[in-house]
Amino acid sequence: MTARPSLLLTLTIAVFASPAGAQPASVVAIPPLTTPNESNRGADSPAAIAWQASQLIASDLRSTAELVPVGPNQKDYYSYPEVTAPTFSRWRAQGAKYLVTGFVRSNPDGRFAVGCYVYDVSKGRELGRIGFAVRSDEWRRAAHKCSGLVYTAATGAPAGLFDTRIAYVAESGALGARVKRIAVMDSDGTDHNFVTVGDSIVLTPRLSPKAGHLAYVSYVGGQPHIRVVDFDTNQQRPLVPTSEMTFAPRYAPDGNRIAFSMQQGPNTDVYVVDANGGTPARLTTAPGVDTNPGFSPDASQIVFESDRAGSQQLYIMSADGSGQRRISFGGGWYADPVWSPDGQWIAFTRRIPGVGTRVGVMKPDGTGEQSLTAGPGDEGPDWAPSSRELIFQRAGPDGRTALYRVALTGGEPRRVNTPQDGAEPDWSGVID
Amino acid sequence: MRRLILLAMLAAVSTTAFAQLPGLRRRDGPPPVAPQQGVPLLGIDAVRADFVARSGSDMVYFGGDAAVLTPQAQAILQAQAIWLRQHPEVVVRIEGYADLSDTRDHALAVGARRAEEVRSYLILLGVPAAQLTTVSWGKEKIAVLGSAPAALALNRRAVTVIVR
Repeated sequence: MTARPSLLLTLTIAVFASPAGAQPASVVAIPPLTTPNESNRGADSPAAIAWQASQLIASDLRSTAELVPVGPNQKDYYSYPEVTAPTFSRWRAQGAKYLVTGFVRSNPDGRFAVGCYVYDVSKGRELGRIGFAVRSDEWRRAAHKCSGLVYTAATGAPAGLFDTRIAYVAESGALGARVKRIAVMDSDGTDHNFVTVGDSIVLTPRLSPKAGHLAYVSYVGGQPHIRVVDFDTNQQRPLVPTSEMTFAPRYAPDGNRIAFSMQQGPNTDVYVVDANGGTPARLTTAPGVDTNPGFSPDASQIVFESDRAGSQQLYIMSADGSGQRRISFGGGWYADPVWSPDGQWIAFTRRIPGVGTRVGVMKPDGTGEQSLTAGPGDEGPDWAPSSRELIFQRAGPDGRTALYRVALTGGEPRRVNTPQDGAEPDWSGVID
Repeated sequence: MRRLILLAMLAAVSTTAFAQLPGLRRRDGPPPVAPQQGVPLLGIDAVRADFVARSGSDMVYFGGDAAVLTPQAQAILQAQAIWLRQHPEVVVRIEGYADLSDTRDHALAVGARRAEEVRSYLILLGVPAAQLTTVSWGKEKIAVLGSAPAALALNRRAVTVIVR
């Protein structure tokens, strides 16, 4: 597989308002994007792309907890001039709080111009607009960007949410002898690729923030060790040249460093190393298992798990290893900490003896703990770039695994469809 | 001094059978069995069968999140040590495992700790370090499926595998 094009040609982008605290489950009307020229009706025509892009925008927004898309519906066609001058009463009558309009038209250079506008229907005013010139194979990204504009305008969440990647471990074969392959897909499940071929056990894929690189653990050669894939060149290499076991990699927010664990004898400690290699710096020295390091969004602190006090608990330290302090005190074991991109929360897996494992969150100071899932086989959470949602692995009573998403506000987790059983999900940041 | 005592214990223990928990089916390859009459095993299979037959088991079990060797585990490892010292040409890989109730990365570290514990004990019993390698499988290769305590217990193990 190859890296995604890093930039679409952005014609215009502006968000005029980002009302925070929008009411949950607002209706968004998504009539089909329109086209100025109706003559071309082929598969790659503006009209065909407009229809598919409208469906993709609706599908993106349907995956969120806050928005309920309505459409696209053929009967809701509107004229090209109405893109920037919609008839608000028409959409108000449908109960919509927000309206998405837009167009797809052919450019003389063979590309397509895609424009997208978001309106507050009740107030009758524009909230934002975005436009791209794309090749015919790039319209999906433009549609994802449009979905992100709508989501940002409606919720105040960071833009670009839908143009993101998810890596996970695809599992197949008999239980107890699973074939495991690293897979990467768009967050809506499209553009699915396998990164490894299944000849070695693989673990814990972790995308770089912009999804251009991937760190994972492989048993190739016998000893589990972290490998780094560059999707631009399709080259991969061990992260550090050592015969010791290295595992639990996670990128720093700028993508330039990787925190990880290395085992030496009975002891496992946290290290950090330049993503391009070099000499790792050791950050912990306590006897026991210190693992699962993850950076705060400003990279000044690292959260990790340690069993130094007898059971797995969550700790925070400065990025140089100083000031280590425990933050979890709720009973049971705590593991797999991940800092939210907005810095407000730390997600984790909690092991409760006799009950199983659940996914929960707490504030970085250890207060405000909440369970987000009921278990009993939920683990390994990672944050959506919006910080409003988590993806995690759920194992059923038969031992088979699947990926699920759950909103930070709670509610029933929703299954993420994957071609095979899915485990150990990792959600990239916003790509550009 | 401790080493002398252990060596004295070694002399007293020849083989120790390990009782499997009843009613649970093993999911990874069954341990090699002693060769049947008239069906001679060849090469490494014969060596492995002899190792298991004379050691009592190629496997020891652990409690909870611990890597502490139980008296039963020590007895099996003492028998393994005798055999390994008699076969200095043999190299083994000690594989450490955790159970499904553990989280993935912690399981990896716990498996490594168990393998290291077995390795250290075998070295203490006089097996040359050059004969011993280790690897952790964490919770990636589950021997017995299920979340019942007995099933979990059968996964918290270290296996001594003859590689050559």
